[in-house]
Formats: sequence, structure tokens, C-alpha cells
Amino acid sequence: MMDWVNLIGILSMALAMAIMLGRLFAGPSLYDRVLAANSFGTKTVLLLLIFSLMVGRADGVDIALLYALINFIATIAILKFFRYRSLEIALAQMSLRRAIDGEDD
Amino acid sequence: MEFDWTQLLDYALMAMLLAVGIAIVRLRNLFAAVMLMGVYSLLSAAWFVSLDAVDVAFTEAAVGAGISTVLMLAAMLLTAREAEPVKAARHWAALVVVSVAGAALFYAVGDMPVYGDPNSPANSYVGMDYITSTPNEIAVPNVVTAVLASYRGFDTFGETVVIFAAGLGVMLLLGLRGLKKKEEQK
Amino acid sequence: MEILLLIRDIASIALMAVGIIFVLAGAIGVVRLPDFYTRMHAAGVTDTLGAELIVFSLILQAGFTLLAAKLLLVGFILFLTSPTATHAVANAAHRAGLNPLLSRHQPPHPRDAGNGEAP
Repeated sequence: MMDWVNLIGILSMALAMAIMLGRLFAGPSLYDRVLAANSFGTKTVLLLLIFSLMVGRADGVDIALLYALINFIATIAILKFFRYRSLEIALAQMSLRRAIDGEDD
Repeated sequence: MEFDWTQLLDYALMAMLLAVGIAIVRLRNLFAAVMLMGVYSLLSAAWFVSLDAVDVAFTEAAVGAGISTVLMLAAMLLTAREAEPVKAARHWAALVVVSVAGAALFYAVGDMPVYGDPNSPANSYVGMDYITSTPNEIAVPNVVTAVLASYRGFDTFGETVVIFAAGLGVMLLLGLRGLKKKEEQK
Repeated sequence: MEILLLIRDIASIALMAVGIIFVLAGAIGVVRLPDFYTRMHAAGVTDTLGAELIVFSLILQAGFTLLAAKLLLVGFILFLTSPTATHAVANAAHRAGLNPLLSRHQPPHPRDAGNGEAP
């Protein structure tokens, strides 16, 4: 009986992912798209978790864990890119700040 | 006939893959295309889990959805943000070639063994040999790791060298400097 | 003992149902709401809460094994990173100058309402 519940959970996650794709295709500003991509990633993590429990393979939980972390890091990296416009400026600002404040170990 | 309800998940994932693929081609805003490519890799990783290929899904999620998206964004920031519009009628020859190749691939799928067949050639000769001799010769419980790291170790070694050389070449071409040394500021 | 298993099953089904309702409501909200900041509310709040409820439902299903410990870890990570990512997106949008949609109704300016009246 729990298999049916898990199956309904999986299909609902797939439906939510398909709905979120609509905001990715439309979405006038780039922040709309970043938000939709982050949310899509969270829903994929949930889909992988429910699927792993349903099939009985324990490895899927490892993949879900990995992807939850990567999703977060990729979202922050994309936002940092759009703030600094390139990687060099971010690195230069870091070294400048370290030079002004003085490095204390 | 008993309908396998988990096939609905496969249909849903493949339909989303098709929709995302069409959207990547048709969108002109390059940032949206890069995000959609990340989403495409993510859907592929979910589909690989559905097909019971867990190691491939690991690699796809880590590389495709995480690193590749960020690298493509960095490349996009060095170039343009919008793609120029392309007239579809100019590329009729490409469409013909792709259609013929696609039709040939679909025709070839009919000759492949049934999914999960234990008597297929891939599972009978070398595959069975790996599965039976991995617990004896190599003490790693995962057969895929044993094949990649030990039985086909030179292959993995070559791949590592190639990727390292490519990364070095790109960094030299783009001229990325590191952080300033501490001694220069004292 | 049987009654405990029954309670566990019912609790798992209830948590999963409420979690699915939240996630679907959030997804529909992101598509239908008019402005970026309102969509951020829909995506950020419902994603975290729905995800935690579904993870708790799966923990109840998994019993007292290593799998439950890993699920607890995933739940903890989602609890920490999902609101942080939402806040980061909103902060970046605000710093970049994306203005919120304040009102759709524009009351007529006093200079347009009639001839030569003092505002």
C-alpha cells in the first residue's frame, strides 16, 4: 500500500517540475529563472528520494544528498557571477580586501 | 495486462526532456538557454536513476547540472547575451541530414537486445567475467569502480591526463592570474 | 505491535499528502503570481516546508536504519540551504535594482482631475 502512496508522490513531483518549467521558459528577468531553477533542483531531490525508497535501492539517497549540495552551490555561484560580471574582479576584490585589512593569522 | 504505473514517471521525464530541448533551441536569450541546459542534465540524472544506473546519475548530476552550467555562464559573460536570429529555411540541408540520421538510429534500436536481458552479448562474455572475478581479485564491493579503476585503469588514466591538459590550456589562453602574494604587500 | 505499525503508516501517508499539497501549491504559485518578489515567497516558503514534510514521511517509512540517518541528513541540508538560496536570490535582485510591483491601481493625479483645481 505504501507503494501507491510513493507512486502518487513521484507523479506529483513530476507534475510540479513540469509546472516550474513554465516559469523557466517565460520569466522576464534572469532572477525569475534562477529562482525557478533552484526550485526545480529541490523538487528533483525530492523525486530521487521518493523513488529510491520505492524501488529499494539505497544509493539514490546519496545522489539526492549530492545534488542538494550542488544545487545550492550552483545557485550562489550564478548569482555571484552576475554581480561581479567576471571571475577576475571577484578574485581582485578578495585580494584587495585582504591587503587593506591586513592578514592576521 | 497489468499496467506498470512507474512507467508514467519515465513518460513524464521524457516529455519534459523533449520540451526543454525544443526550448533550448528556440530561445534567443542565452542565459535562459544555459539554465535550461543545466535543467536538461538534471532531468537526465533523474532518468538514469529511474533506469537503475546509479553511478551514471552521480556523474551526470555533479558534472552536468553543477559544473557545466557555471562554466558555460562564465563563457557567456565573456561573449554576448543574445543570439542572433537564424532563418530556418537556410538550413534545410542540416535538417535533412539530421532526419536521415535520426531515422537510421530509430531503425537500429529494433535490433538491440531487450532491456535487462541476461543473455545479451554485453552481459555474457566480458561482463560476466568482471562480475564473477571482482570479489576474488579486487576487494572493492562496487563492480563499476573495479572496472574503471583496475581492469580498465589505463583508460581512466588517459582521461585524467586529457582533462588536465585541457584545463591547463584554457587557463593559459584566458590568462587568469592568481591571488596576489602576501609578501608583495608588506 | 500491529497498532504501532498502523499508526506509523497513517502518519507517513498524512505527512506525504500535506507535503505534496504544499509543493504543488508552491509550483502553481510561481507560475501565476504577478511579480518576482511574490513568486519568491511562493517558491521559498513552500519548497522548504513541503520538502521537510515529505522527508519526514520517508523517514517514518524507512524505519530505524542507516537509510533513515541519511534521510535525516538530507532533510537537515535542505532545511539550511533552501531558505539561504532564496534569500540570496532576493538580495541579488534587490541590489541589481529590480523594483517590486507596488500597486496595479493608479489613482488619478490631482492635476488631471478637473480644471484648474489646486492640488
